[in-house]
Amino acid sequence: MAPSHGDGPVAARQHALLLKRILFFGGKGGVGKTTCASAAALAASRKGKRVLLVSTDPAHSTSDIFGTPFDADEREIHPNLYGLEVDANLEARRYIDNAKAGIARMFSPAVAKEAGRQIELASSMPGVEEVALFDRIGDLIVDRFDAYDLLIFDTAPTGHTLRLLRMPELVSAWITALSKRRRALLALNQDIDHVRLAPEAINPDEDPILKTLDARREKLEQVRARLMQHNFTGFVLVVVPERLPIEETARAAEVLAESNVNVCEIVVNRVLPDDVDGDFYRSRRGQEQVYIDEIKRRFAAYPLAWVPQLPTDIYGLENLERVSAVLMGTLS
Amino acid sequence: MDWRELRQNFGDFVHGYFVSEYERKLREQFVDLNDLFMLQCFMELVGLPNPAAIYLLDVYPFFLEEFHTWHRRMGMDRSPLGSMPCC
Repeated sequence: MAPSHGDGPVAARQHALLLKRILFFGGKGGVGKTTCASAAALAASRKGKRVLLVSTDPAHSTSDIFGTPFDADEREIHPNLYGLEVDANLEARRYIDNAKAGIARMFSPAVAKEAGRQIELASSMPGVEEVALFDRIGDLIVDRFDAYDLLIFDTAPTGHTLRLLRMPELVSAWITALSKRRRALLALNQDIDHVRLAPEAINPDEDPILKTLDARREKLEQVRARLMQHNFTGFVLVVVPERLPIEETARAAEVLAESNVNVCEIVVNRVLPDDVDGDFYRSRRGQEQVYIDEIKRRFAAYPLAWVPQLPTDIYGLENLERVSAVLMGTLS
Repeated sequence: MDWRELRQNFGDFVHGYFVSEYERKLREQFVDLNDLFMLQCFMELVGLPNPAAIYLLDVYPFFLEEFHTWHRRMGMDRSPLGSMPCC
């Protein structure tokens, strides 16, 4: 019953997607990113892979699809399939509590209390949650990479995600500049010591500030390198055959290519089946065909996967299983 | 005071004079560089966004002393940032 838009050898496509180690699912709000990400996770887990499905979308629909709540920490929700929900708010909290603990260790309680109050304010600064969210994703990509065969990220709507992927570049450039200045500063301080013949300057290799900055940068670079590894990291864009999602997907594909992120598949979701009855559906089907042709033309460079509109909503494992089968090309 | 002692003293004096001059220059340069570094770490102070703000929370504790001398030199008697409660 799936439409016959099929193209390319099905087995090869399934192969390519499931051979990746890190997959991001992105697209305009409401096109079915979560459904597709969940379906891919399910398919991979059925193939015997250890899969971690990470929901970063604030809407957190993964819990609803699987019918079981996801926690902030990874938890097995299905054989071989682990899931977690990243709550940006909570991550920002965690980060700020850490910073506060650091201050409490080094200063008197009075100072720590005063500082704590102000750091609290800093937590509501714009951008903090975004960085905290990115930080968590980065941690997962670097630290949990070896624990799983496949990490799948269900991301927030496109614009947000694109900014997130460009963040390591921006922040690491910034930190590089800072650490360079700091190094120059310390070198100068050593020169002063040298002429005074009274060493009291900090050795650059032991400067806590430089150490912290460099550790940060190293991690950001590591995340960036992983994101740009085309052979094991891929970005899957989900689109529906409608005007606005097509435009947004085209833009996203462009920006991702600019950032050197590999778009490894475009999933066209909710395609009306061929055998629909009634004038209303036939008319819609006719209009849709225009968009389908456009998708084929504009995204000719990418592997396309077609997922038909199903007669019911997607929630619960049984429904998901069907999408999963279609997506992986075994039911087409 | 014999001739040798005199010469030694004069040598020390000349040495000290030039070295202190050199040290002063270095210190000036150090202070300038430090200002720039501080500015980059605390861009919020001048109302500019700081992309690494949250990462810098990690290093704030180490900054306290330097930050104190810095804001004093910048003509601010009390700490301008509540998150840096140095005074």
